[in-house]
Amino acid sequence: MANSPLIVPGATDKGTTSKSIFISKSKLSSAAPETSTTASNALAPVQDMAEQMNEEEKHKYVKGKKLGEGTYANVYLGHLVTSPSTLVAIKKIKIQAAYTEGLAPDAIRELKHLQELSHPNIISLLSVFSSKDQNLNLVLEYLPLGDLEMLIKDTEGVRYGAADIKAWMGMLGRGVWWCHENFVLHRDIKPNNLLIAADGEVKLADFGLARSFSDPYRIMTSNVITRWYRPPELLFGAKHYSGAVDIWSVGLVFAELIIRTPYIAGDSEVQQISLICQAIGTPSEDVWPGVSKLPEYTVPEPPTPVRGKDHYLATFGTAGHEGVDVLMGMLVLDPRKRITAREILEHSWWSSDPKPTKNEDLPRKGGGGAKIGEDLKRRPGVLEDERGAKVARKLDFGGMN
Amino acid sequence: MAPSSVSEDERYRTSTQYRLWSFTPASLLELRTTTNRNAANRVREAVWRVREARAAASSGNTSEADGGNSRAVSAVPEGEVDCLSVEEELKLVTHFCRQTLQLGDHLQVPTDVKNWTLEQKLMALQATAVQYIKRFYITNSCMTYDPKTLLKTALFFATKTENHYFRLTKFAEAITATKPEEILASEFLLTQGLRFTFDVRHPFRALEGAVMELQAMANGQIPGGDKLRGMGRRVKEAHGKAREYLKTSALLTDVYFHYTPSQIMMASLLIADRQLISLYLGSKLPPGSANATISAKLMEALDKCAEMLQSLDEQSTADKKELGALAKKLRKCRNPEKIDLVSIQRAKREGDEEVDEKVVKKRKLEREQSAKEGEDLFGPTIKK
Repeated sequence: MANSPLIVPGATDKGTTSKSIFISKSKLSSAAPETSTTASNALAPVQDMAEQMNEEEKHKYVKGKKLGEGTYANVYLGHLVTSPSTLVAIKKIKIQAAYTEGLAPDAIRELKHLQELSHPNIISLLSVFSSKDQNLNLVLEYLPLGDLEMLIKDTEGVRYGAADIKAWMGMLGRGVWWCHENFVLHRDIKPNNLLIAADGEVKLADFGLARSFSDPYRIMTSNVITRWYRPPELLFGAKHYSGAVDIWSVGLVFAELIIRTPYIAGDSEVQQISLICQAIGTPSEDVWPGVSKLPEYTVPEPPTPVRGKDHYLATFGTAGHEGVDVLMGMLVLDPRKRITAREILEHSWWSSDPKPTKNEDLPRKGGGGAKIGEDLKRRPGVLEDERGAKVARKLDFGGMN
Repeated sequence: MAPSSVSEDERYRTSTQYRLWSFTPASLLELRTTTNRNAANRVREAVWRVREARAAASSGNTSEADGGNSRAVSAVPEGEVDCLSVEEELKLVTHFCRQTLQLGDHLQVPTDVKNWTLEQKLMALQATAVQYIKRFYITNSCMTYDPKTLLKTALFFATKTENHYFRLTKFAEAITATKPEEILASEFLLTQGLRFTFDVRHPFRALEGAVMELQAMANGQIPGGDKLRGMGRRVKEAHGKAREYLKTSALLTDVYFHYTPSQIMMASLLIADRQLISLYLGSKLPPGSANATISAKLMEALDKCAEMLQSLDEQSTADKKELGALAKKLRKCRNPEKIDLVSIQRAKREGDEEVDEKVVKKRKLEREQSAKEGEDLFGPTIKK
């Protein structure tokens, strides 16, 4: 190891790795300074540089108590060795016996995109290391205050108003904007993927269904986004789509924050389409040129005209006139005319009254560590049929492109 | 509330390609040298161990010999081990990257898309796989992990990260004479060598964008194209040439480690048609004192990048003879303990799966128990 420019902190500490037999030997070798690792010390194998780097990362963290256990991953509370008060969540991905094709695509997607996206409103991936040789550990920032779904559901315990909603929507909007700015589609935005940090900041999590924007002509699967938040183009089977799919989901999160119940909650795809027609209006060639050419385009008769602003004001009036404008922009049927993340952030809503609540004044609910355990241990990217329902989760990686 | 404007450069600097995979030529060489030296040491140690084991085995003390390692034992040559140098490793890696490009062509991808997208599909796949291999061999040596095997793993892994997923068995079939487990055995090693970063930024899209803009200049939709005769034709020709550079030289040289995708794209166009690119850059940075420094700096970087891209033309003739000799040399200095990756992998997995924390505790208790019983000089009572 003397040859390496890399410092390997903790490599000589207690034998925490499975290779304890080698540890004890390297202890000997590093006890004598300036030991060359060659023939003179032939019994202590030098690690690959990649292995050394891995050890270095691993020894930066201490794994603590288990916060949650799932089929896909276990989540542990952890902290920095050098700073016990800096908490982290360590998501240990289990090796899946059922999946025989190596590292699973959902884990790959989550890693690939979280490694690239660094933004206050996107959960930070602090480090990745392997333990016991082959178990992947994702070190994520610790977000102890639960998620937006908890706040929405707790109608007894948590009261919030228009200024609070505006603050949360601002954080969600910025997170989504940063994804799109970096050509990443999240494809699973919903309240329980929006986690809350100790300081009240909302963070977009679960990138297990995310992918980069496709090249023109490359097809993508339309089987993404949890049904209640899935836009009409995906329900109609579109294979080419854009960031607009995420914006539709953002619109439904906005609506749900206001009325405190999911706005369009169909229990099948057919019903989801029919509810969209009732709530928003029936997609037709008039309002959305080309829609009837989509592979699975079917709408119930008779068609409902696209709802006007009055309709939205009646339900979502507490968001104010401009808030309702933003909401309507997000729920435009034709994805090409839907508001973009950048346009959302540039909207005059933000500068009109009320001002967004400051983070420290936002309502909160003490979720504790158990909640982040629940949120993170879920298999990323698997769509649950019904929120909260304990349904068996389907393993289907084949079509997930 | 408006999004703060983030320049393309600032965004690029947040990428792992910039943060973890960009180097100065000197620091890259240093890393490769360290890797090579460590690997060579390991080979010598491993050979020594295997010889010791063999000696022990032949002297009748079979308990010390590792029975499962017979393949490794037989692979150990006699005499002093002649290890590869950094330059030799680099030549081999380049050669195997070239092979990866050819291998990718064998893959049958669904034909539901137009042909030119098919080509693009494959290009992204191969380009990413090649960069994976190049990144992997910065911190790993050919002497430890055979590039011939690793390239298949890299290609398979790229099908997952680039959204062209293949069934493993189909993939293994498409790549002749390969078993699925052989591909998977080094997948974890690959991801570790990649430091768990899988995103690779290529210059292909940048080229398409620049060419569209140049065409618009040639058509007069954007001003500035009237200074060059036959610009439309020249744009077309430059496009084709630049694409060739991006498909081979850019992938096989070290330009990805030293330059940004847009610089690589510009450099490839510069080689194709210098006058055309001067005009293009001039329209972006109009001559004048304000832009003089940045313009000069940019041209210097592009020229260096272009030089590196063109250096491959000379290397490519790197005779088959030399490569044959290198391959032969590699066979003699392979780390004998890392040859059978499939068995190593299997042992690791089987070792891991069952050892959960409770079991460990239980075993520890049992050990302590038996240790107490075993304090008697002749061990515990024999179980009946």
